[in-house]
Amino acid sequence: MKIISLKNLSFDYGDGWVFHKLNIDIEEGDFVAVIGANGAGKSTLLKMLAHLVKPTEGTIEYYGTDITQFKDWGKIGYVPQGFGKSMQDFPISVEEVIATGLLKPQKTFQRHNEEDRKEIEKVVQFFHLRDFGKRRMGELSGGQQQKVFLARAMVKQPRILLLDEPATAIDTHAKEELYAYLQQINQEAGVTIVMVSHDLELAAASAKSALCLDHGVCFWGEVQAALNHHHHHGYFYR
Amino acid sequence: MFEMAFMQRAWLAGLIMALVCPLIGSFLVLRRQSMIGDGLGHIAFAGVTAGALWGFSPVLSAAVACLIGSLTIERVRNLLKDNSEMVLAIFFYAGMGLAVVLASLNKDSGFNLGSILFGSLMTVSGQDLWIVGILGLAALLFVIWYYRPLQFLTYDENAARVAGLPVDKLNYLLAVLTALTVALSMRIVGLLLVSAMLVIPVACALQTSASFAGTILQAMLYGVVSVSLGLVISFYANLAPGGTIILVATGLFLLALMFKKKPVHHHQPLYHEECAECEQDGQVDVCGHVHHSHEQYQHNKD
Repeated sequence: MKIISLKNLSFDYGDGWVFHKLNIDIEEGDFVAVIGANGAGKSTLLKMLAHLVKPTEGTIEYYGTDITQFKDWGKIGYVPQGFGKSMQDFPISVEEVIATGLLKPQKTFQRHNEEDRKEIEKVVQFFHLRDFGKRRMGELSGGQQQKVFLARAMVKQPRILLLDEPATAIDTHAKEELYAYLQQINQEAGVTIVMVSHDLELAAASAKSALCLDHGVCFWGEVQAALNHHHHHGYFYR
Repeated sequence: MFEMAFMQRAWLAGLIMALVCPLIGSFLVLRRQSMIGDGLGHIAFAGVTAGALWGFSPVLSAAVACLIGSLTIERVRNLLKDNSEMVLAIFFYAGMGLAVVLASLNKDSGFNLGSILFGSLMTVSGQDLWIVGILGLAALLFVIWYYRPLQFLTYDENAARVAGLPVDKLNYLLAVLTALTVALSMRIVGLLLVSAMLVIPVACALQTSASFAGTILQAMLYGVVSVSLGLVISFYANLAPGGTIILVATGLFLLALMFKKKPVHHHQPLYHEECAECEQDGQVDVCGHVHHSHEQYQHNKD
């Protein structure tokens, strides 16, 4: 069953198409890596999927509904690049961050009930975050912060997970751990994942399909074929 | 000192502002908008001079100017995310410029500039008290009702949007409350010092609290201590109350700096984990590194 459809999706910063007329259907349970050179529009595409950036042309559909009409945002989990350097002193604890993941769309007055607390507890346990709960986010390493953001996205049990360069600025051990979690979420819980990544090796090890964006030349298909395309076009070392 | 009715009113009005300013200020400071109170102060000044010129109440004209300014600032912030700081600065200077021009046009009657810029807490009337009381209640209800969505958009506005929260609506409501807080604080600490009450108590709380809720509550506590202590000192030492309150708050900030919560050492062990290779106990630090006597394992994990 296709749950995300890009229809003639195009984006232009004003000096030529970054990508033009993308037509892609993403099936439920897929794990898509969006790869490509710097400036190829990977993060822009993810922001479009998150409805943070409007496409120049074309549309995105979730479950057959145009993104502008789509209301069921509880089904979408979003994991940003990280807790930026300027946010390191922000007074928010790990538990508070995870709890915000349970907020319901369009509702204003929201309190957590016993069931919510159980969900938070479950996710804290799954991501081994019990000992970090009361700590400020800024006290955690990049890898741990990324794990907390993943926990925040997972606590509402989304069906689609959007990840923007989740492996940026984290060490190899944390990267491997992160990709193992993603595979587990994808394979065991059947969550559809769309992940922008620079890390081709690890993306190849975990993703099933890949979208390769290389300045107008786009390739969509099985992950290894997309990586071959990426290498063939000489963007690997950019 | 509290036998006198004017002192009771001054203390009550001060206390309400001591709670309202840090309550609203917490969201501004944490969103890196500390200077917005200062800027709105400039715009309110333009409103006051316009009011004096055309015969409107200074508080009412300041509130209208602040509301227009605050909503425009929010719009500009959305449209020009990358250059919003520069555009806002220009906006504020334009407010000050307008104030100077309007004041120069008003040759007939001067208004009490000192009370506008530095506040006149001792002359707070019963009506003023009602107005700040209603504002305080509105601000408190707003934060209680919208607390969790506000918390989310304060630390990650993009993620809050993706979660489907009414981010724009909340931003505009916060802008309206900020505008009213600045305009109505004018009588208490003055336009030049209102920004200090929005920022300094929050800066104090940031040194001593680890959580979001804790920061807001502690900021309000620092605000109450600053106003109460500032009023007592100003009464007995015959000093300007607005300025004394701010100096006390600054003193509290220096004290809070001394008691700042030390960040946890990056490699402080958090929990124990068994080594997969030798089955010995190892300590896992905050980065997820395992510190272990089995050197090979530790090397691999690092």
